Amino acid sequence: MSHIHINVENLNFSYEKNQPILKDISFTAHENDAIGIVGANGVGKSTLLKLLVGLDLRFEGSIRVEEIPLSQETLGKVREKIGYVFQDSDSQLFMTTVEEDVAFAPRNYGLPEEEVQRRVDEALEKVHISHLRKKPIYKMSGGEKKLASIATILSMTPDVILMDEPSVALDPRNRRNLIYVLNEFEHLKMIASHDLDFIMDTCNRVILMDEGSIIADGDAKEILTDKELLEAHGLELPLSLYNE
Amino acid sequence: MSKINKAIYEIQKIDSMSKEDKWVNNIHPLIKLFLTVYYIFLIVSFHKYDMAGLFGMCIYPIFVFVLGDLSFRDALYRLRVVLPIVSIMGIFNPFFDHTVVNHIGDVAVWGGVISMFTLMIKGIFTVLASYLLIATTSIEEICYALRLIHIPKIMVTQLLLIYRYITVLMAETKRITQAYSLRAPGQKGIHISAWGPLVGQMLLRSMDRADDIYESMCIRGFNGEFPRMTKKRKNKGDLIYLLVWFFVLFAFRLYPVFEIVGGLFV
Repeated sequence: MSHIHINVENLNFSYEKNQPILKDISFTAHENDAIGIVGANGVGKSTLLKLLVGLDLRFEGSIRVEEIPLSQETLGKVREKIGYVFQDSDSQLFMTTVEEDVAFAPRNYGLPEEEVQRRVDEALEKVHISHLRKKPIYKMSGGEKKLASIATILSMTPDVILMDEPSVALDPRNRRNLIYVLNEFEHLKMIASHDLDFIMDTCNRVILMDEGSIIADGDAKEILTDKELLEAHGLELPLSLYNE
Repeated sequence: MSKINKAIYEIQKIDSMSKEDKWVNNIHPLIKLFLTVYYIFLIVSFHKYDMAGLFGMCIYPIFVFVLGDLSFRDALYRLRVVLPIVSIMGIFNPFFDHTVVNHIGDVAVWGGVISMFTLMIKGIFTVLASYLLIATTSIEEICYALRLIHIPKIMVTQLLLIYRYITVLMAETKRITQAYSLRAPGQKGIHISAWGPLVGQMLLRSMDRADDIYESMCIRGFNGEFPRMTKKRKNKGDLIYLLVWFFVLFAFRLYPVFEIVGGLFV
């Protein structure tokens, strides 16, 4: 098991002056954490994840991954450890077939072809899409693309998984499958979503965000059952709790 | 299947063809790239009236089509837009060049006519050679070969990304035109008043999507180099292939081989 952790201190970020997207964000994500980043649309969940993987380095404050400060010089090292799944699978998949796309990262890291194939097999197996191996990306359904996107980062054998709205476009069966896959992943994972039921099933810790700030950070069950807190920040109780 | 879908399908088809496990596909990409450039250079160097000599150069595409088990019919279909354009390049030559270079019976053959056909053949052979390169070599391998000859990383990355973005642009076009047609039932094509916003949207969306794809490549270890190919070594067979073609094509360039062979039977 990896001992990776992410430390974020006083993180501020804006695309344009005087329009802050993230305000003074600080937290530490530990190796076994499964963190759900929740909040209404536009509170900065996706931006936070993108910053953690170094997709934009114009931030103030510090992000450290296993004590490595995130900067232009350390991007390569950091990205080897972190797998990021985009919100829109079409943005993630760009090769001809599923197999080619899943093999993209291991090949880029210069692994021998046998190892690449082993990782591709394993990643496809994990998300139960081995039968789609040779399927052209453009012929796949939304749910299939989502699972393929996840396989593309599993083949990197990352120490951390960051996911942006992973449950979007999944049918109930694939959704259950994804929950199972994520729960099997023993390392650090951070999931940005407003699907609170999904967060409840996969995370043990929740960071609630509103207007670019962290409002609450703590036990998933505690936060996700706090009706007042959720409603005060544009969310509602998970549907499963309404039914109880 | 819509026209855009067909186009995406064709690109995907060529892409998967280039990754097949065939003898020609497995030749080192630098050798194939060199031979293609060398072939095009020889083709272009033929004199404008040297049609007989030029015909001999068909040996290379024929050989690669056969060896690569590629369909000539499919190639013609895929090149249906380009081939007519390259074919009409010399269409005005007969009007300007009235030099009599030969006679067929009592009919004088003008140099302009010959040079028109020569130009057509040159264009067709050049396009075919390029097609054969991309049909047997993946874009990553071509980029790798370009890096081997020290083409700057930024240019090679541009080439790779342009290739990746073609399908992205087409997919965006498809989405936008579908959205338009669903709200403009019974209308043929796109009304001129909607062209501006549609093209603008397409451009903006494609740029966004292209940005995302580049980011997706970067976070999966892409840095403009091609580490997978670094393990690809030129072997003896590849070098023999290169040498044989180098001398055969050179011989066909120097001598009108078909004419000589034909002369033996006259």
